[in-house]
Amino acid sequence: MTEASFTRKFFVVLVAIIFFLPLWWLAASSFRPSDSIFRYLSPIGVYTFWPDEWTLKNVVGIWDSPFRLAIWNSIIVSMITVVVGLALCSMAAFALAVLEFPFRNAVFVVMVISFLIPFDAIAVPLYSIMRMFGLQDSYTGLILPGIGNGLAVFLLRQFFLGIPKEIREAAIVDGMGWFRIYYSIYLPLSVPAMVSAALILYIFQWQAYLWPLLIAPGAEYKVAAVAIAQFSTGYRTDYGLIFAAALFIAVIPMAILTILQRYYSASIAATGSKE
Amino acid sequence: MTSSKSRYFVVLAFLGPALLSVFLLRLWPAALALINSFREPGGAYGLGNYTYIFTDPEFLNSLKITAIYSVIVNPLQIAIALALALLMNAGMRTIGFWRTIVLLPVAIPQSVSAVVWGVALRPDGLVNSILNTMGLESQRFLTSPDQSLASIMLIVSWIGVGYWMTFLVAGLQEIPKSLYEAVKIDGANGWQQFRYITLPQLRRPLTFVLVANTVANFLVFAPVQILTQGGPTGSTNLIMNEVYSQAFVLSDPSSAAASTVILVAVALLVVTIQFRLMSAGEDRT
Repeated sequence: MTEASFTRKFFVVLVAIIFFLPLWWLAASSFRPSDSIFRYLSPIGVYTFWPDEWTLKNVVGIWDSPFRLAIWNSIIVSMITVVVGLALCSMAAFALAVLEFPFRNAVFVVMVISFLIPFDAIAVPLYSIMRMFGLQDSYTGLILPGIGNGLAVFLLRQFFLGIPKEIREAAIVDGMGWFRIYYSIYLPLSVPAMVSAALILYIFQWQAYLWPLLIAPGAEYKVAAVAIAQFSTGYRTDYGLIFAAALFIAVIPMAILTILQRYYSASIAATGSKE
Repeated sequence: MTSSKSRYFVVLAFLGPALLSVFLLRLWPAALALINSFREPGGAYGLGNYTYIFTDPEFLNSLKITAIYSVIVNPLQIAIALALALLMNAGMRTIGFWRTIVLLPVAIPQSVSAVVWGVALRPDGLVNSILNTMGLESQRFLTSPDQSLASIMLIVSWIGVGYWMTFLVAGLQEIPKSLYEAVKIDGANGWQQFRYITLPQLRRPLTFVLVANTVANFLVFAPVQILTQGGPTGSTNLIMNEVYSQAFVLSDPSSAAASTVILVAVALLVVTIQFRLMSAGEDRT
């Protein structure tokens, strides 16, 4: 690609800075004393975006606040979702890409379309079902909706379809069972697709708001995304603490996304935006 | 090949958990909502819940707000995403980094973004002080019925456009350079290149983004519930917030079920189109 002009580069950087500004302000506000967050807002000056007095009080304060438990819950729930979800989605994708059985394509279509029913749309009726099973206020209740993901199945199936048939035919001749073929041939060959699928599963669960709000109303299983909203509307809000917690909850997925950007873009490209 | 009986066992072992979760976590609740939507509060079955919600001013208002919102926010976000994609498809060593920055907001939980923007949009918040510095008057944003919906649009667009941009950048990079070279020889200017090469070549990713974005915007909930609860005076009462308040604020599960069915039906329609677009691409590879 030809090198862009200086003007264009300038605009690229300018646009990125505009998008980053709210996040920067969030970060700056997290490291200044609570009572000075609004002091330097007007007029805009250096200290609007740069703490005049640095403090770790807010960040450290998370440890002694209800956010500690909420962030911990979010981490547990997301991690289990990724592990169980990867197993479930990759096994389904393997069946749909490799195994031969009648109505395979019909099963695939039904499965992907059902998974694509936006989860939030059926959250309210699902809530009454889960309550019937006593899954209110439990990790199981929080995790279950996140483990089956149509996009992850779709992505992995696409990738599995690209693995040459000859490889598994040779394995069958060698007497390998299907599970061995899945586990020791397909999975190792599909690391990039698995990373993309893991990202999809993780971001879904870390972002979840409506579902945890319904299924885990108690304090014990509150997740970070819900906790931040509830504490920010409380009476006597400590904005320093809120901002520090917001920063913490935002930084984890931002760091993961920045490191794994390449896999994330790959998942986007594979979703069918390509000709 | 093994016997057909054990082959089905293998298929079931691999596919079973996923099928079970599709059934339990998607189809069952959808079916339950459908059944409950026909069960009237007295216990009889009929269309009562539907006739009720379609005469309920709150629900009708939420349909209207959702329609206004969708008609404005979807074209707006796609136009911005396209402009961003064109800009960010630049020959620059660090371009990946700048694109990641624009994409970052989508990774953050929407509730976090809502809380931060809620503070920024306060009457004494960051956005007003930027406006003042630029010599403009302070605005009421979320507290004004005239500006609240636009404020929600601003927040969800900041969250989402970088994500949609990424699809379009992928699409731009698929366009063969030779097409541009051919029309350049014919003396096409920048606009003509965009109009006759870029746009038609981007048709697929653009359609995909349009459909996927429409579904996403249909389900916006966290910013509304956290920042306005549908107000002031119903001006931001998008459909998801209406379903939530029917079910949990008004404790009216019958109306909530009927509204859910309407919501799922429309979402399913859009999703089916989306799926066809996805598998159309697959056939060609």
